[in-house]
Amino acid sequence: MKVLLVAEYRDGQFLASTQELVGFAQQMGAESAMFAVGGGSALPAYDGTLYLADAAQYGEYNPDAHKQLLLSVIDQEKPDMVVFSHSSYGWDLAPRIAFSLGAAQISEVVEASDGALVVPVCNAKLRRQVQPSTSMCVVTLQAGAFTAAGDGTPAVKEISGDAGGAITFEGYEEAEAGGVDLSKSEVIVSAGRGIGKPENVAIIEELAQALGGDYGASRPVVDSEWVEHNRQVGTTGQTVSPKLYVACGISGAIQHLAGMKKSEFIVAVNTDKDAPIGEVADVLVVADLKQFIPALTEKIKAG
Amino acid sequence: MKFELSEEQSLIRETVRDFAETEIGPSAAERDEEERFDRELMFDSLAELGLTGIVFPEEYGGAGADYISYAIAVEELSRVCASTGVTLSAHLSLGANPIYLFGTEEQKQQFLTPLATGEKMGAFGLTEPAAGSDAGSTKTTAVRDGDDWILNGTKIFITNAGEAETYLVLARTDKEAQKHHGISAFIVSKETDGFSFGKKEKKLGIRSSPTMEIVFENCRIPGTNLLGAEGEGFRVAMKTLDGGRIGIASQALGIAQGALDQAVAYAKERKQFDRPITAFQGVSFQLADMATQIEASRLLVYSAAYKASAGLPYSQASAMAKLMASETAMKVTTQAVQILGGYGYTREFPVERMMRDAKITEIYEGTSEIQRLVIGNSLTR
Amino acid sequence: MKILVCIKQVPDMESKFKVDGAGTWYDTGDLAWRMNEYDEYGVEQAVRLKEQVGEGDITVLCIGSDKVKETMKKALAMGCDRGLHVSDDDVSAREPLQIASVIAGFAKDKGFDVIFTGMQSQDRGSGQVGVLTAEILAMPSITTIVDFAYDGGTVTAKRELEGGIKAIVKVAVPALFTCQLGLNKPRYPTLPNIMKAKKKELLSVPVADLLEADARQQTVKLYFPEKKGGGLVLEGDAPDLAAQLVQILKEKTTVLS
Repeated sequence: MKVLLVAEYRDGQFLASTQELVGFAQQMGAESAMFAVGGGSALPAYDGTLYLADAAQYGEYNPDAHKQLLLSVIDQEKPDMVVFSHSSYGWDLAPRIAFSLGAAQISEVVEASDGALVVPVCNAKLRRQVQPSTSMCVVTLQAGAFTAAGDGTPAVKEISGDAGGAITFEGYEEAEAGGVDLSKSEVIVSAGRGIGKPENVAIIEELAQALGGDYGASRPVVDSEWVEHNRQVGTTGQTVSPKLYVACGISGAIQHLAGMKKSEFIVAVNTDKDAPIGEVADVLVVADLKQFIPALTEKIKAG
Repeated sequence: MKFELSEEQSLIRETVRDFAETEIGPSAAERDEEERFDRELMFDSLAELGLTGIVFPEEYGGAGADYISYAIAVEELSRVCASTGVTLSAHLSLGANPIYLFGTEEQKQQFLTPLATGEKMGAFGLTEPAAGSDAGSTKTTAVRDGDDWILNGTKIFITNAGEAETYLVLARTDKEAQKHHGISAFIVSKETDGFSFGKKEKKLGIRSSPTMEIVFENCRIPGTNLLGAEGEGFRVAMKTLDGGRIGIASQALGIAQGALDQAVAYAKERKQFDRPITAFQGVSFQLADMATQIEASRLLVYSAAYKASAGLPYSQASAMAKLMASETAMKVTTQAVQILGGYGYTREFPVERMMRDAKITEIYEGTSEIQRLVIGNSLTR
Repeated sequence: MKILVCIKQVPDMESKFKVDGAGTWYDTGDLAWRMNEYDEYGVEQAVRLKEQVGEGDITVLCIGSDKVKETMKKALAMGCDRGLHVSDDDVSAREPLQIASVIAGFAKDKGFDVIFTGMQSQDRGSGQVGVLTAEILAMPSITTIVDFAYDGGTVTAKRELEGGIKAIVKVAVPALFTCQLGLNKPRYPTLPNIMKAKKKELLSVPVADLLEADARQQTVKLYFPEKKGGGLVLEGDAPDLAAQLVQILKEKTTVLS
């Protein structure tokens, strides 16, 4: 099977999701080629052919131009599957390609074992296995669902086409630095009374940063004014449902559980093996958080 | 007989519920603790939604909806904040509705429309220190002076007092007449000379709703502010209370439903003896009884509301609804605290507030004893 | 100005779902239904656009059984002028291309200046219908908008990218936009407007009149993911535990690549 991987490039770099596309191809045992509208000296870790159009000419967001460029490569490579990341770039471009090809598009693939494509349904409460009935199909991959892979340098083939399009790109606007809204966080690391003293909030914050998330706290920590109120998780604080919730030194009082039990994956770190938080945790690490959390942070940063 | 809400009624429920949960709910505990009324949140925003005149015709600035829609709105508000529920109910049923029922066209234009649009808030002054259930013992007087009336007296336990601009006041116009004869109804505006406010009550519940004494000292009001005929006041009051009872029954229903929802959610989560407490019939049977009583109360409320909108007599129906819903609210909220145990007794969970809020529904707008009198009379007359 | 806004009726995501008899979708019995959250932003933006321009007509379109009319009423109560109900008792069996084909089939000769759809649906979440509809209609489309400004025939929109960065883009109408959460603050329908919505036109058209595309994909099965095997307890030295946990997070979550 042959796949064409559509990589993303922004602000002078290939996005990390590119390596997940490579990982997907490897997992499928498929032959692959890559397409991107990119530029400068940046290249992904990939040892296949990269069809590269210059972003300076075609723009980082120009659906019409990108579509034409990509279709010309598809025409050359004739892949069985065109693979995008399920991202603001991917879900915008993929349906245009699928429509032009008359191909089925399967969005946000989370699993692809033995060629069976699986996607999430209803806020990821359920899974759906989908079967395309067209010979060629388009897929978008959920961020982080496939392991990053790839090394080496690609053989670059420059491509060109029509740079016009109905939509003009005017520039980027930076994200606002506003107050934290834990209800929107995908990863939360929370501090409980077990951290011992306010200085240890820093350990929690560092782990949160290493995981690309935010830090929160249980009520006693907020009441002691070690952490500000808008980071409180629980009945009198925020209700959160992140992909990962790490409860550090939190016993699991019912008021706290009410605020976080809908988290997709819960890790609890506590010296007490019988702490009530163990009831909702997927993993309970029985350890002193003052040793364990820094060790974990280091491990994650090391990659 | 259709036991289904219309599409409009369902949409009203969904809208008021979303609004209540998002806008009103988050500050309910804090406002209760601080005994704070927030007019912008608890009244003006209801006006923006079109709730302040929900049952009145469009020509008077209302939404032209029915009493079931009104019941739904009060229930959904009360489910998260009983104080907000009574703010609306007292304003609409006790302040505005008597003007709709008994007012002249001029009075409706002048007083009803601003109340319906929510530009102004309404209140109702009947209760006095010595005249509660025995409303016929009203001592506040209104004496003719030229074209005007001069009011003297005190009313207590008035909901929305201090905030409301328009007050429906019952006063004795004929000293010779007996008991409930010789009482008349008047519309009094807030900024009138001689009309002042006394102390604000510190209450067990509905602490975010202002309850105050109102005082009339040689308060002069124009003759055009007499509502209905002279001497018709008691009838005005009774008819007003019939409608108000639907409002309070809906408030009680909302409180009960809110408490049940809390109790069910907690019971599913709380594990004791290695299982959620819903696994114990002692608990699940309680929840079953609570839910059944609430549903029965709801049907009584809707039945009274249906009759009110259909122009059928509804005194007995609204008394039954108020009686049942309020007693249900008290029982259900008390059981909810019990189910939440120690946690339910703390202010971290809303059920203790709901229990404190529920009690007043058995007392105001006619105590449960009065409701039984009304129902009994309707059977034995 | 003619505006089309496409909405979908979906179940409340807090519901307890069950797999249906055929094993290919969730059981639709006993669920509470509401407007797809993303679509609420589309309806609100359509109403604001009409208010800004001072004139216009907004059609709200929804596909499904008669049950969806209740959700359409909400859109009408928020300010849409008329509703087009495409009657389809089998809507959950259609795939995105078919949905797009129905919408395009309706829209093709109506001269809409702006079409709004939600960025994705909360249940199926394929995020394709908006763009596919635009492709069928040969109309430009911009996805994931969190800001929309119309000025004399041109729309300046902001797309939300990963990391909270926004991309500013411009396009001339007619164009289609898919709406992301936070685009605006959807209004609560007021009670007078809920009552008035009763009188607004709500036509029903059978799906067979508009559906032209065959399905290009099938659902093989719908199922619950296996339980995470709750309650793994790890004990040992901090560095070892850290390595173990990192491994688990890599396997069981998408948080670490």
